[in-house]
Amino acid sequence: MATPLLSVRDLTVSFDDFVAVDGVSFDVHRGQTLAVVGESGSGKSVTALSIMRLVELGTRAKIERGEILFDAGGQLGADAAQSGGLVDLVKQDEATMRQIRGNRISMIFQEPLTSLNPVYTVGNQVAEAVMLHQGLDKKAATNRALEMFELVRIPEAKRRLGQYPHEMSGGMRQRVMIAMALSCDPTVLIADEPTTALDVTIQAQILGLMRELQEESEAAVIIITHDMGVVAEVADDVVVMNRSKVVEQGSVYEIFENPREDYTKALLAAVPRLGSMAGTSEPARFDLVDSTVDVTVDVTVGANGSDGGGSGGNGEGV
Amino acid sequence: METTPLVEVDDLCKVFPVAGGAKIHAVEHVSLHVGRSETLAVVGESGCGKSTLAHLIMRLLDPTSGTVTLDGAEISGLGSRAMRPHRRKMQIIFQDPFASLDPRRSVGSAVAEPMKVHKTLSGSALDDRVAALFERVGLEPDQAEQYPHQFSGGQRQRICIARALALEPELVVADEAVSALDVSIQAQVINLMMDLQQEMGLSYLFISHDLAVVERISHRVAVMYLGQIVELGPRAAIFENPQHSYTKRLLDAVPIADPRARRERPLLVGDIPSPRWAAGESPERVELVEHEPGHFVAAE
Repeated sequence: MATPLLSVRDLTVSFDDFVAVDGVSFDVHRGQTLAVVGESGSGKSVTALSIMRLVELGTRAKIERGEILFDAGGQLGADAAQSGGLVDLVKQDEATMRQIRGNRISMIFQEPLTSLNPVYTVGNQVAEAVMLHQGLDKKAATNRALEMFELVRIPEAKRRLGQYPHEMSGGMRQRVMIAMALSCDPTVLIADEPTTALDVTIQAQILGLMRELQEESEAAVIIITHDMGVVAEVADDVVVMNRSKVVEQGSVYEIFENPREDYTKALLAAVPRLGSMAGTSEPARFDLVDSTVDVTVDVTVGANGSDGGGSGGNGEGV
Repeated sequence: METTPLVEVDDLCKVFPVAGGAKIHAVEHVSLHVGRSETLAVVGESGCGKSTLAHLIMRLLDPTSGTVTLDGAEISGLGSRAMRPHRRKMQIIFQDPFASLDPRRSVGSAVAEPMKVHKTLSGSALDDRVAALFERVGLEPDQAEQYPHQFSGGQRQRICIARALALEPELVVADEAVSALDVSIQAQVINLMMDLQQEMGLSYLFISHDLAVVERISHRVAVMYLGQIVELGPRAAIFENPQHSYTKRLLDAVPIADPRARRERPLLVGDIPSPRWAAGESPERVELVEHEPGHFVAAE
């Protein structure tokens, strides 16, 4: 198999005494979608924020060990050149990360309203990203923003450029976030629960859009989600996380059809599947796997770990 | 077996005035019933009016027009004093168990409060009842002395269920009651709700946007769109033989947890339309037509 575009090796992140991500390793390839799935507090968002190197900003998080090898295509100077194009994101300084973040690797968050600045028009915000990373002037950047709005199929794109976030629906705002994230042609797109806040018909639109855009751009997508339905719908490969660790990883077919670990089995048993009740008329209990599998989460850990890290990262935006 | 349904809703409307003379038609001419020991699910997307409908049935909101009958008694016009004996027959569980418990009081006192307010029990009988309720929902009785922050989301929702059961209600309204829970916890709470229904003969009005959960838990389903019911019928009919275009669209959009069931969908673009109407305008009334026995579909 070709060398991975992004390779996370033994990543370990802690918040003071609490280890939020513990020895996590996985690879992401060009044109592939990797789903990182897990329940609250499993460490999936902290993993995503670590790749962006956003996790340490404004929090007490620390990347304790591990590598995040990214194939930057030789565009990042001497360090990249001597390692055959591969750079370890963990070792990069903030100035280098700023060239990568939002440019080569970009991110979409769950709640588009808190990820957009309420006092600037959405067109302005997309143009700003392009001006910053691609060095375009205002006019060219605005044209690029319009082109991106059309790409993500925002109706009446030209008029929408001049709107403020509060004037748009949740689905349209998430399209703006995707437009912004893709505006600099990133090679990796990280989407952290991108459709969780959306209604189901809008979710279907956004997932379809992401899939189509990926086919066109050959970007790698890492989707962070708690929803096994979304995983089945979009993923090529799956990483299952629980309690800071990877419990199982494999192709989407291996995970759904032949899960090896008890936790994965328990998780799948709890998922309601549309159509599973066909031919019956009465309600039916879930046939849950033995409760010896510990799927509960320590609340204090959830609050300090994943949620704290998540909100710290959200403020930084793309 | 009693023949009258527990809840009967007839031609219920709720219109909220907004600035500039415009109006939000949140609930439009809704008629339905909830049978005894039955779960009626109300499904729809944000802003379709499903929560407003639940609040109207609970009399947490007053309807603009129409009636609600609970256990044979019309409750829609009653004042707060006259409403009181009816309130204990119906209880509600909300979506967010973090917001629906007072952080400054022990969870035991939260569960005891409805019984104090309605003076059904006191003293050691009350304590025993609280302990029994905790046990019934899968918590330890001695956890009653703890405070909400010491519990996880799933445990808090169990506490809210215990509180809802305190007065032995006949109707429990669950307004997105499992939507905020992790999937394994969600399945456990749904199983608990089904067990309680079997045991106590409860009726549920289950408000949800999650069709896969609804398929599991409900006997009958009402699909709401822009304040109106567009389709209503037995769960199997709605899921296996949907008739209305909106019901079909909704079912098509649900991601299925099976990679071999992956569907190619046309790339649609569109927002859910708003139930807001300018001054002097109002939505057209749609009539429900009986497609097969008990299965009603709005004319399109």
